[in-house]
Amino acid sequence: MAWRNLGRNRIRTALATLGVVIGVIAIASLGMTGAALQQQADTNLGSLTNEVSVSGGADSDVDGVTAAQLDDIENVVVDGAIVPQRSDATTLSTRSGDAQRVTVTGVTDAAALYETSAGRAPSRLRTGALLTDDTASDLGLEIGDPVEYDDRLYRIVGLVESDSGFGPGGSELVLPIDAVAEGDAEYDSVTILAEDGASATAIADTLEAEFNDEDDEELSVSSFASAQEDVDNFLNTLNLALLGIGSISLVVASVAILNVMLMSTVERRGEIGVLRAVGIRRGEVLRMILAEAAFLGVLGGIVGGVLSIGVGLVVFDVLAGDRLLVFGWPSARYVVGGFGFAVGASVLSGLYPAWKAANDPPVEALRG
Amino acid sequence: MAPGVTVVQLTDVTKRYQSGEGTIEALSGVDFHADRGEMVTVIGPSGSGKSTMLNVIGLLDTPTEGTVQLKGTDVTAFTEDELTEERRSVIGFVFQDFHLLPMLTATENVELPSMWDTGVDRRDRAVDLLRRVGLGDRLEHTPDELSGGQRQRVAIARALINEPDIVLADEPTGNLDRDTGETILEELTALKTNEDVAIVAVTHDDQLVAYTDRVVELVDGEVSA
Repeated sequence: MAWRNLGRNRIRTALATLGVVIGVIAIASLGMTGAALQQQADTNLGSLTNEVSVSGGADSDVDGVTAAQLDDIENVVVDGAIVPQRSDATTLSTRSGDAQRVTVTGVTDAAALYETSAGRAPSRLRTGALLTDDTASDLGLEIGDPVEYDDRLYRIVGLVESDSGFGPGGSELVLPIDAVAEGDAEYDSVTILAEDGASATAIADTLEAEFNDEDDEELSVSSFASAQEDVDNFLNTLNLALLGIGSISLVVASVAILNVMLMSTVERRGEIGVLRAVGIRRGEVLRMILAEAAFLGVLGGIVGGVLSIGVGLVVFDVLAGDRLLVFGWPSARYVVGGFGFAVGASVLSGLYPAWKAANDPPVEALRG
Repeated sequence: MAPGVTVVQLTDVTKRYQSGEGTIEALSGVDFHADRGEMVTVIGPSGSGKSTMLNVIGLLDTPTEGTVQLKGTDVTAFTEDELTEERRSVIGFVFQDFHLLPMLTATENVELPSMWDTGVDRRDRAVDLLRRVGLGDRLEHTPDELSGGQRQRVAIARALINEPDIVLADEPTGNLDRDTGETILEELTALKTNEDVAIVAVTHDDQLVAYTDRVVELVDGEVSA
């Protein structure tokens, strides 16, 4: 019955449903965009979250980490790989004339810091070198080729993945620590690799407590874990704000449904009067009209849901590079949520018109 | 009043309602009854309270004073839901404007009063009733495909779907031409015998008087003679 009633004025039904469709698309798409952004942030930052970076503090006498400070660090930090480094920059050139600017990092424990795409990263780097693979292919270098730094030659033993880390891959040359000259202090920085973000944060806190106080920063301690947390929080808030805006459009659609239902029940006043006169109960009339409103919501929800998945495929392709992620729960839940909201809002909108129609005295309804 | 035979009994029924100019007394101390197998026609000038009386008999309106008894039970103080139940099972309505639902077929219109009853399928009875009123070849037609007389016959069939004890007809021939009106009246007469129902018709068409068993005249809300 409810279905046939809706069919009587197809254009009106279609327009009301359209409002719901737009509302569902708005909510689902915005939610999925937020999920895609979060996915991307996790991917980019994820590989760095277990690192703690230590370098010379603002109030330190030296621009770097001294051997004494390194000893203290090694005493205080028990659950992480501690990798002191020296940094420089140089230009690598090949016989064919290609040249590229690279940063130079001197370490001993290369294995702890670097992922290789070819060759190996020794945990005691003494004579070999590592080069980022993009740089190597740009310069036409391969494993086994020599590179020159500071008038010495080093043989490439491994290629480092260029896109580990945040942002576009840098060009990096990794050498034994003694190949790089000391700066102001024995080491330019120290990187500590923890098990995960939580331990990284704990280690960072410990080092802060050990070396710094309110007006004296001896060592600058930073960990990406807290940065990622900040980014996550920001994205969450952003997501909620976007969803809030999207919900407004669904509220507007509900108002449209309320209007449609009111108009339709007023038009049918005589018919509803007949139903009541022949003995259809008030509750049955109420349910019939609520069913009409619910249908609008379900229809709009389904169409909106399907279209949202389409939008989601595009969003995930552009933002996260993997369109199938749209079917994962963190994103799919917004489609489900949008649908549920649509049906719920539609039924709610139908309540007042349904109640009004059901309680209309038949005598009055038949007269009018 | 003969128990088991009298379907509806109004005793000293008065109906007053508020209107712009004050209180109007549509019915004053009306006594009325209708028995099975008889057709009672209520006549009177417009404004005499005929429609109000039919509404009271049909449980669509409650009296300000007096009692209404349906099949021996006092229904005067029934709740809206209880009254709805009685309308569903005991009373059938035929309206001047037919009041069929435009998007349903003839058969569905006849089934309408029973459509919300779960576990009950009155389709066979609906088809049978339509055949009996001569519409066996119009079962799937919608109202806009039927003539006035045919629509009224569908309405009559609808009034009978739940096997009522009384059929109320408000100006049943009002929107029909003379010949069609005659057909309808013959229909109703056959009904009262075959279905053993009481029929109360309200009209100002003298045509009905020829078919009726008893005439009740209402003037200014009071029964005369």
